Amino acid sequence: MKGVEVVIISGRTSQQGAGLEVGKTSEEYFKSASYVELSERDAKALGVKDGQPVEVTTPHGSVVVTGRVSEGLDSGVVFFPYGPWANQVFGATTAGTGMPAFKGIRATVKPADGKGVKTLAELVDSLRRWG
Amino acid sequence: MVVHTDVVCPFCGCLCDDLEITVEGGVVANTKNACAVSRSKFMNHGKNRLESATVDGEPVNHKKAVDAAAEILARATRPLVYGLSSTECGAIGRAVELAELVGGVVDNTSSVCHGPTILALQQVGEPKTTLGEVKNRADVVVFWGSNPTEAHLRHLLRYSGMPKGLYIPEGRKGRYIVAIDVRETRMARFADKFIKVDPGSDFELLLVLRAAVRGSKIEAEGVAGVTAKEIEELAGRMKGAKMGIIFFGLGLTQSEGRHMNIDAAIGLVTELNHHTKFLITPMRGHYNVGGANTVITWQTGYPYAVDFSRGYPRYNPGEYTAVDLLARGEADAALVVASDPAATFPAEAAMRLAKVPTITLDQKVTPTTMLSKVVIPVATAGVEVEGTAYRMDGVPLMLRKVVEPHGEVPSDAEVLDMIIERVRALKEEA
Repeated sequence: MKGVEVVIISGRTSQQGAGLEVGKTSEEYFKSASYVELSERDAKALGVKDGQPVEVTTPHGSVVVTGRVSEGLDSGVVFFPYGPWANQVFGATTAGTGMPAFKGIRATVKPADGKGVKTLAELVDSLRRWG
Repeated sequence: MVVHTDVVCPFCGCLCDDLEITVEGGVVANTKNACAVSRSKFMNHGKNRLESATVDGEPVNHKKAVDAAAEILARATRPLVYGLSSTECGAIGRAVELAELVGGVVDNTSSVCHGPTILALQQVGEPKTTLGEVKNRADVVVFWGSNPTEAHLRHLLRYSGMPKGLYIPEGRKGRYIVAIDVRETRMARFADKFIKVDPGSDFELLLVLRAAVRGSKIEAEGVAGVTAKEIEELAGRMKGAKMGIIFFGLGLTQSEGRHMNIDAAIGLVTELNHHTKFLITPMRGHYNVGGANTVITWQTGYPYAVDFSRGYPRYNPGEYTAVDLLARGEADAALVVASDPAATFPAEAAMRLAKVPTITLDQKVTPTTMLSKVVIPVATAGVEVEGTAYRMDGVPLMLRKVVEPHGEVPSDAEVLDMIIERVRALKEEA
C-alpha cells in the first residue's frame, strides 16, 4: 500500500512526563512514547483501526509504532510524542540554530500489519550499530 | 511521619512551590497539591534506580568511575558537556568549570527547546514579567504553540487561568483565554477561543496579526488557515486588554522559522504596547533550564552553546550546539549531566554518543546510560538534594531535600567536584 502523506507534529504529553518519572525502561514510558495519533480520515483511508501498528517513514528513517485515532487532528497531520521512537525519523540538520526540526516534518504513514513495535533496548542497540 | 510543606516541585518550569510531601520511614509516602507528573516524580523517584556506578558495563565504586571519567575528559580534544537543565544551579556552575578546564564545549537542553527563543530575545529584547503579575493583572491570555494541559499541568490553575487575582477578582471569568495551535488539544477546549493555524505557518499569522493591530485592512480572505474576520477579532481583543500576555511554546521554536517566529511574536507584542500593556513569556520545560541559561551566562557571558577550546568562551548556536557537534562527528567524548540526549536527539545525532566515550550522571537507567562507557549514579536534586532553580519567568526558588539519597549516592555537584579535582591532578602530572 502506498500510504498517506502527512506532516508530523511532535510534542509532550502528560502521560509521557509521568512515564519517564517512573523510568525510561518502564512499561508506562514505552506506552506513552511509541504511538502516533492519526486523524479519523487518514486512519480510514489507510484501513487502520485504533491500536493497530503503522509505519512512519521520512528521508531520515522509518519506525513502526502503534496507530491511535484522534478527533482533534486535521487530515494530513499526525501527532508523535517526543522520545526515541519519534527520533528515528527526524533529521539532525538545525539550519544553523542548534534546533532540529521536531515539528512540521513531511512523512508517509502506511499500515504495518505483522510488524512489531521495537522495544527501547532494540532502539538503543540500533544506535550502537549505526553506520 | 514528617510532612514537608511549601516544597518546590522539580519537574517543569512552573516550579510550583506549594507542595506537601509526606515522608514515612525515610520514603515519600504521599503528595498533596502535586500534578500527575510531579506526583509520579516524588512517588517513583526510588524506582528503576541505577544500583551501581559502571565502567564498560561492569560495576565499580564511585572513585573508580570518577577516575575513568577524568581520564576520558583530560585526554579528549573536543569533549562535549551537555544537559544540566534538570539539576540545581550549583551543579551547573561546576559543569561550566569542568568544561573550561578541559577546553570543551558546554551546552544545555535549551538548544533543543527554547534556544531559538534566546536567539530572538538577544536580537530584539524581552518584554517579560513574573507569573505573580500575570495572576493579578492579565485579562487576555494567549497560549501560542504551547499546551499547559499536557506539559505545565498547574500553570492554568495557579497563574494564568483559574486563580482570583488582585485585579482579576472573578478568576476564570475575568480572563479571555486564547489557544493557537495546529491541532485541537485539551487546551483548545479549555480556551474561550481556539484558532487552528496551518502547520508551519505561525510566522505568517504573527505578521498579519501585527498588521491588524496596527490598523491595516486584511485584503486576503484568510492567512495561515485563519479567516480575516478571526484575525481582526483577535487583534481587537488583544488591543482591548488591560494587560495581556502571550505564553508561547515549542510550537513556535521547533517549527519552520524557529527564532524568526519568536522575533515576529515579540514584534507583535511591541506593536500591542502602543495600545496597552502586553508581555510575552516562554513556557520553559525542564524545571531548571532557566537556571542553566542563567548560570552559564553569569559564568561565560553566554546562555548555551559555549566553546572553551581557545581558552576563552565563544558562543555560536548551530556550531557549538550539541546536536550539531554530534551530527558532524566532532565531539570525541561526552559528559551528560541530568539529561537523556540518546532519547531526545534525532537518532542521526544520538548515535554518536555510542561511538565516543560517554560519561553520564543520572538517577535512572535511560537510553543514554545504556550507551555510556561510564555511568555514575547521583542523587535527585529537589527530592534528595537541596539547591536553587529558576522558574520560567526568571524567579529563583530554593529546592528542598525531603529524603536521604537512594543508596547514599552523592549529588551531581559532588561528583563533578571529584572529576574536576582528578582532571586537575592528571593535568599537573602531564
